[in-house]
Amino acid sequence: MSLNSIVCIKSVVLSAPDGVGRRTPQNSDLNPFDRPALEAALRIKASLGGSVTALTMGPAVSIEALAEAQAMGVDGAVLINDPSLAGSDTLVTSRVLAAAIGRLTPYGFVFFGTRSADSDTGQVGPQTAALLGVPFVSGVKQMQPASDDWDITRRMDEWEEVWRVRLPAAVSIHPMAFSPRPIPLAGIAQAHDHMKVQSWSLADLGLPADRVGLAGSPTRVANLKKVKRQRTCRMLDGEPREQVEALVAYLGTKGLMGS
Amino acid sequence: MSTPFLNPKHRLLRRTVRAFCEKELRPIAGQIDQEARFPWEVVEKMARLGYFGIQAPVDLGGAGLDAVSYAVIIEEVSRVSAAIGLCLSVHNSVALYPIVAFGTPEQHRRWVPDLAGGKKIGAFCLTEPNVGSDAGAVAATAVPTPDGWLVNANKVFVTNGGIADICLVFARTDPSAGRKGISVIVAERGSKGFVVGDLEDLCGMRANPVSSIRLYDCTVPKDNLLGSPGQGLAIGMAALDTGRIGIAAQALGIAQACLEEGVRYANQRQQFGVLLARHQAIQMMIADMATQVEASRMMVYRAAALKDQGMPVGLAAAQAKLFASEAACTVSDLAVQIHGGYGYSKAYAVERYYRDARVTRIYEGTSEVHRLVIAREVLNG
Ligand SMILES: Cc1cc2nc3c(=O)[nH]c(=O)nc-3n(C[C@H](O)[C@H](O)[C@H](O)COP(=O)(O)OP(=O)(O)OC[C@H]3O[C@@H](n4cnc5c(N)ncnc54)[C@H](O)[C@@H]3O)c2cc1C
Repeated sequence: MSLNSIVCIKSVVLSAPDGVGRRTPQNSDLNPFDRPALEAALRIKASLGGSVTALTMGPAVSIEALAEAQAMGVDGAVLINDPSLAGSDTLVTSRVLAAAIGRLTPYGFVFFGTRSADSDTGQVGPQTAALLGVPFVSGVKQMQPASDDWDITRRMDEWEEVWRVRLPAAVSIHPMAFSPRPIPLAGIAQAHDHMKVQSWSLADLGLPADRVGLAGSPTRVANLKKVKRQRTCRMLDGEPREQVEALVAYLGTKGLMGS
Repeated sequence: MSTPFLNPKHRLLRRTVRAFCEKELRPIAGQIDQEARFPWEVVEKMARLGYFGIQAPVDLGGAGLDAVSYAVIIEEVSRVSAAIGLCLSVHNSVALYPIVAFGTPEQHRRWVPDLAGGKKIGAFCLTEPNVGSDAGAVAATAVPTPDGWLVNANKVFVTNGGIADICLVFARTDPSAGRKGISVIVAERGSKGFVVGDLEDLCGMRANPVSSIRLYDCTVPKDNLLGSPGQGLAIGMAALDTGRIGIAAQALGIAQACLEEGVRYANQRQQFGVLLARHQAIQMMIADMATQVEASRMMVYRAAALKDQGMPVGLAAAQAKLFASEAACTVSDLAVQIHGGYGYSKAYAVERYYRDARVTRIYEGTSEVHRLVIAREVLNG
């Protein structure tokens, strides 16, 4: 059994001075939450064969994120880049990705990171799956073939659930679950010297311009500002043992430590 | 840090190498310096990832990267552990590179895959107790015999000496030919008469096992001559042209680390009721440090870019090495100054950077020798 996987990745902005995140090469990086997703897909390919395609929607600078995916070992890379996509919200992003995935058939799994480091909505994975009409499991830490189906283990806080799904399906990978492989230097040379990125425009996807970008987005960012968190300090007193107990109790009530 | 010369490949490379070094080297960098220990556990990972064959051709097991990539990698590794940067620089540019550039196809097959894969470590053995800056005065000898070369050599200050398997030994093959009588013989550890001396107890770069290597009536196969007889110094100089880019990049990495630590400390320590960073005297230091670092970076990348374009690189590499190594010493000195007494303590990394920076002005040609080389080129055109 061989399996074709698609991994949706994002080039995220690293900083937004004055509330503006400029999409320059220096200020962009592959979303760190997508690396475990790439790793999970590559491991399935290593054990079952098939292919892995990295897919991204974004400005031209996103090519660098695709190059990193290639250096990690994916077989193909697709960039959806179109001026009318500017201002797209998560719903439009999902719509565009679903249209692109529709052109990458047949596939078994679509992989996502759990969220993006620069917007943190966690919406794109589940929304895309809904538009595709395929099952979606989030926060996945393990994937096992089980005859015709797959057993997918997801992690939530201190619990694990196992879901049995039939392919095609979509998953988001738990950030701690698949430690991404270090990239070999030769892979970097290969990825850039033999770049094989397919570039698709809106027309290629058959989407009209009024369904994407600002025009197609029901939500938009009205304002972006940095918040400075107030740090407080509380002194604990008493004997060391009492202090430790007070600290443990406090962390427990804050949900920062299990009991 | 904004670096307009870098293409997307170099940017990905920098991020990748930095992430690796932060994860694997940073936690042990101070400790391996103190213990003077070569960290095989990390080096083996680096070997698998291609750090020992950065510019070697892909079909011989290398990563096939260009000189700018090489500079970026050495800079990033040295930013975290200059001693490991040194190991890579010497291995890649003065051991592996000359074999790739001057070796026969048969020699490539014998040595390059093992070196490029880091299964064997390379060393460059030129310096002797009485032969330093004046490389033409090499006293080691290699005499042709029916069984091969009979080599006698007393080489000192061999970077990677304690762990090297494949050593480029500069020896006199024609006693009457002066500078033209020196050849490069490749000696392998384990040969009879090949002795690794005690490790040097160094001021900095302590995680690198710098040692002497002695060959006592060591018989080396005839085919281990690199290039032709008498070509030794020419090979050495060609190797050092690339080597200098590596040492310059190393100095740059150390200086960058010093700048980062200086900025961090200045933004954290208060005196007279305000952060150090608010004192103008400290701001002046930071400005000088940042400028020296950026100027070094321009010179290092420029030399590497010239090499990638196939242009003559001798002058640019010498200038980069001279400037970046002097800058690293200035910048590390300022970083210690910003830290005050703490900068003189092993509790802070700048103490190590200060020691590591110092030797970049000495090896692969001292600053004085670089000035001679530069002046000669500039005056004679
Ligand atoms: C950590 C470390 C690692 C090293 N690794 C290697 C290695 O892997 N392989 C290797 O072969 N060597 C290695 N070396 C040796 C290094 O390259 C030499 O130390 C260097 O070339 C200088 O030689 P020297 O120490 O004999 O100094 P000398 O040549 O004796 O110089 C002493 C001083 O005189 C100055 N001087 C000398 N000649 C002139 C001149 N003509 N005009 C003006 N000033 C002059 C020098 O600049 C210096 O200031 C290493 C050294 C160290 C410390």
